[in-house]
Amino acid sequence: MPPQRAGQKRKVVEVPRPQHNGEQEISNDALDGAMDDDADSEQDLSGDQTDEEIDHEYALDSDEVPTSAEDVEEKVRSQIERLKTAAQNADGDEPNYTITTDANGNERYVYRDIEAEYDSDDSAPATTNTIGDIPLTYYDAYPHIGYDINGRRIARPAKGEALDSLLDSIDLPEGWTGLTDPTTGKPLQLNAEELEVLKKLTRNEAPGEGYDPYPDMVEYFTGKGMEEIMPLSAAPEPKRRFVPSSHEHKRVMKIVKAIKEGRIKPFREPTDEEKERAEAELEYASYDVWANEQPRADHPMNMPAPKLPPPGYEESYHPPPEYLPSKQERDEWEQQDDEERVRDFLPQDHSALRKVPGYAQFIKEKFERCLDLYLAPRVRRSKLNIDPESLLPKLPDPQELKPFPTTNATLYRGHEGKVRSISIDPKGQWIASGGDDGTVRIWELLTGRQLWRVKLSNSEPVNVVSWQPSQEACILAAACGETVHFIVPQGHLCSPEVDAASRELLDAGFGYAASNPSKTAAGSDKPNPATWARPSTALQDKGILLTLTLRSTPKTVTWHRRGDYFSTVSPANSTASSTAVAIHTLSKHLSQYPFRRLKGLAQTACFHPSRPHFFVATRQSVRIYDLQAQKLEKELRPGARWISDISLHPLGSNLLISSYDKRLLWHDLDLGATPYKTLRYHSKAIRGVHFHPTLPLFADASDDGTLQVFHGKVVGDSMENATVVPLKVLRGHKVSRELGVLDVQWHPREAWCVSAGADGTIRLWT
Amino acid sequence: MATTTSTQTERSSQVRIHLKSRTPDIELPQDTGPILVSTDLKRFQLSTLVNRLLDTEKPVPLEFLINGQFLRTSLDQFLTANGISAETTLTVEYVKALVPPLYVSSYEHDDWVSSVDVLSSSSKAAEWAATGYANATPRILSGSYDGLLRVWNMSSEVVATGTGHNAAIKSARFISPTQVVSSSVDRTICLWKYDDSSESKNGQASLTPSLELYGHKASVDHIAVHAPTSRLLSASADHTIGIWSTKKNEAPAAPETLLPDTSTSNKRRKLSSSTASTKQASQRGPLRLLHGHQSQVSSVCFDAHDPTVAYSTSWDHSQKTWDLPTGTCVDTRTTAQSLLSLCTLPSMSLLAAGTSARHITLIDPRASAATISAMTLRGHTNAVIALTQNPTNTHQLVSGSHDGTCRVWDLRSVRSEAGSERVADSVYIIDRESAKGKKPSPAHEGIKVFDVCWDEEVGVVSAGEDKKVQINKASS
Repeated sequence: MPPQRAGQKRKVVEVPRPQHNGEQEISNDALDGAMDDDADSEQDLSGDQTDEEIDHEYALDSDEVPTSAEDVEEKVRSQIERLKTAAQNADGDEPNYTITTDANGNERYVYRDIEAEYDSDDSAPATTNTIGDIPLTYYDAYPHIGYDINGRRIARPAKGEALDSLLDSIDLPEGWTGLTDPTTGKPLQLNAEELEVLKKLTRNEAPGEGYDPYPDMVEYFTGKGMEEIMPLSAAPEPKRRFVPSSHEHKRVMKIVKAIKEGRIKPFREPTDEEKERAEAELEYASYDVWANEQPRADHPMNMPAPKLPPPGYEESYHPPPEYLPSKQERDEWEQQDDEERVRDFLPQDHSALRKVPGYAQFIKEKFERCLDLYLAPRVRRSKLNIDPESLLPKLPDPQELKPFPTTNATLYRGHEGKVRSISIDPKGQWIASGGDDGTVRIWELLTGRQLWRVKLSNSEPVNVVSWQPSQEACILAAACGETVHFIVPQGHLCSPEVDAASRELLDAGFGYAASNPSKTAAGSDKPNPATWARPSTALQDKGILLTLTLRSTPKTVTWHRRGDYFSTVSPANSTASSTAVAIHTLSKHLSQYPFRRLKGLAQTACFHPSRPHFFVATRQSVRIYDLQAQKLEKELRPGARWISDISLHPLGSNLLISSYDKRLLWHDLDLGATPYKTLRYHSKAIRGVHFHPTLPLFADASDDGTLQVFHGKVVGDSMENATVVPLKVLRGHKVSRELGVLDVQWHPREAWCVSAGADGTIRLWT
Repeated sequence: MATTTSTQTERSSQVRIHLKSRTPDIELPQDTGPILVSTDLKRFQLSTLVNRLLDTEKPVPLEFLINGQFLRTSLDQFLTANGISAETTLTVEYVKALVPPLYVSSYEHDDWVSSVDVLSSSSKAAEWAATGYANATPRILSGSYDGLLRVWNMSSEVVATGTGHNAAIKSARFISPTQVVSSSVDRTICLWKYDDSSESKNGQASLTPSLELYGHKASVDHIAVHAPTSRLLSASADHTIGIWSTKKNEAPAAPETLLPDTSTSNKRRKLSSSTASTKQASQRGPLRLLHGHQSQVSSVCFDAHDPTVAYSTSWDHSQKTWDLPTGTCVDTRTTAQSLLSLCTLPSMSLLAAGTSARHITLIDPRASAATISAMTLRGHTNAVIALTQNPTNTHQLVSGSHDGTCRVWDLRSVRSEAGSERVADSVYIIDRESAKGKKPSPAHEGIKVFDVCWDEEVGVVSAGEDKKVQINKASS
């Protein structure tokens, strides 16, 4: 058979080839034919059909159209040959071999190949769906449900109409399940046998037929004819069992004798008394080791009873007064915990023994003794019993930090409207004040007498007054409007010498300006924004000897400690940032603007007491400039929203910043850009803050009408942080139109401070 | 003793007291020994008892001091309050009672009155004068902030007015019945000739400046006088103390720089000099200026026994003792407060100094004294600005303070406080009459007392911010 034909004809079917080696044409043909038979004939098991019939059938049934006569002939021949062998196979008696002669001439049995035939009882229908292990739903869209082994489509069984299925459900056939056999797609029917198996499985019974789960018990030992005989004797009781035992008699007599002799005491019911005693003994077992202590020589093995200390004076009912606790000791003792107390009592004084009251702790101590015996803890205490307050370092008592101002000693009344600024003269005799009424007044410090006044303006308030800090001269700078007036107060306040010295100091600059014409005047096109001028003679008679007119309204005037330089700050929004801060030289009548452009709105400025440093406070930061090196040294960020005032400690390493957002900030300049301490004690904005020039004190003034005095001690060695203790709230100023105290200043030596109020009064606090 | 039996029989408890007195004129004729009295007795009953023992024709009111405290309650309450057993013998010292100085009158001024002094037959100025004070009626001298010096008679009339100072007068004193001295804020001290010989005719006396003393460079705040040596002491705000002579020929010439220069002096000065005083008083300088204080000198006074020794107090917290002939500072005592006023207590050899810390410190100026503050008198509520001793009783003094009160203190009534500090309370408080019935003003505004003077005849005279000189006198 030409192989290409087979390849053309049967595409799908894989032909199993059980024998690969020793291929002979015959066997091959035979196999082919067998396969053909399997595939085509309907009665493949009918072995008793005649060869011709089969052949014809084959020839006719074959859908192949023979291409040539030669092909047909060959096929027929091979068929015949195959039928012959088949006939031999079918005949069981026939030997399975053929006898041939080998090369030596001997007989040789040549066995036929054993054909692998299906002789198992395979009753399953031949139409096996061969689509593999895929769900049938894949074929839902097709009219077939798969392919048989020959590659033919297996048609989907006709499904009845809905009515048919309804009828089927009513007329249930035998073994109906309602399920569909997934392999065939036909309704799955179960026969009676299978149903029986299922039924048994649901009942948890053995599914197999003929299995008896309860077989009859086989009695191997007690069954009939297998009884065992017990080994006990069946002999009657002996006589001796009825005669009393002489041995027992002997033993009883022994006990009787012992009782008679009293060696054994028979049980007697104990009396009540004895019972009580026994119970008491059971309860207490007191062992007083030293009950009958005899005095003995000193010996390591002898432990004498411990000696109780004799009662002291403090245990007396009438102790000497020095043993009586003071109020403070008493409070301390009462505050202490029981276990911390050195003594568990306080000495008390009774004038007579009969007045000594009963012991108040009696019941309590008995109870606690009981607790001890019961081994119960007397006090339940948590392990970590630390008062958080106690961890804080102890602040000194304000009483120990005297002197500081406590009372309002003097009231200075006279200003109409707010008093905006005050200043105590360097000698500490007078107070200068300036206010909304445009006047500058000078007051006697202790008495409150107004010694002198001058009116600078009818419309504008006096914003700042500030004494020049030198001892030799007596010059008051007062800023009113855009002009800073330099005043030598009249009215016998200063002696002719001082007066002359002051005038000379103020006039010195005119000579300097004449001899050294300033650069701006020499030709630079930049107009000088500050003008130094001599006022009119009428004003000169009043004591105003020099004026400095700026282009903006200065709100602060701060002197350098030597009194030659001073700085003005104009914080108004309209002021150009370059002219907001100015440093002026009094002796040269020179004004300088150190900042070409200043970041933020300048609020106030001050000089360092010993170094050439200049502090400028803008709304939110404080910058420290080195005036000699002309560079920014440091910038402080206190975190305030609007700084109102700054004050530098006389030693120069600590800075106080007050802000309108109610905070007072202490900056240690050695520590960094953030505040060392923040003090929030005021309920309204803080207007001003000031360090005492000599004493460790500072005070702030707030819009809530109070001043607060603090102790602020700075240690020079920078090993210790500054101590800040709030000391006193000074109340007295009335709040008028949301404004309280506007300025606070310290006396140069004493612990006295002066405050200027929006209510038009100045107050001295001592 | 028989008294013990009586103690048991009587119901009310009794206490044994031992009466004694330090004043010779009311001493008991003979020592009575312990007397048993009922503890119900109060001051009045005890006073009657002692008066009966003294057998005086007119009963003298007496006060009783027990352990340095005045008896204000009954004996029983006193014993209970002080924890004294009734079985002990009490030593009771009796003193003449201070009759409460009652308000007499007020002299109205135009301005604040800064200083006050009294001239009477018993005053110092009269004692120093060789002739005594012939005029029977006392005179009161007052210096005011309006720069005027006034002399008043007892019927609140101005007898004489002195115009000459250009600024407020800070201190004014009688030197003698014919001489007055005043110091002023205008840095000068002025000696005035007081002539009341013409008073008998028209009821007016004359007050004419006789000497102007220049030397201080600042306000002259206080002056002290000693007439027998014709010396003046002045305390000035320029940190110096000036020694001056009241005699024109003794005093050196005034320093040129301090004289009012006609060319530079202001208009007011010119006007006053041209109109008020046609006859220019002669100008003199200081004998010596004592430097040493670090701050303004608040007060100065002579030693009561030795006019060559002076004491001064200053705002620099110190009290200094000066030897005047050599002009050296002998001793310095530094306290904790500014000292504002000073007076000597010769009988106790102490100095009383009023402080700005609202109390009076008693300083022992002797070199042997161990402690600076011998005693503290507490009670004032503002700076103590003036101190004067009682002229009749050396144990009493009066203080004037900015709190608007004058307080009378008795140094015999003392209690000890913690820290071995001796403290006394005031015996009597003199309020300002002008402040009566008014709401207490804050910071004692308008009622401050600036000066106080205690005279035997006139009583306690105080001047103050209420523009009044107030006289309080014990009614006898």
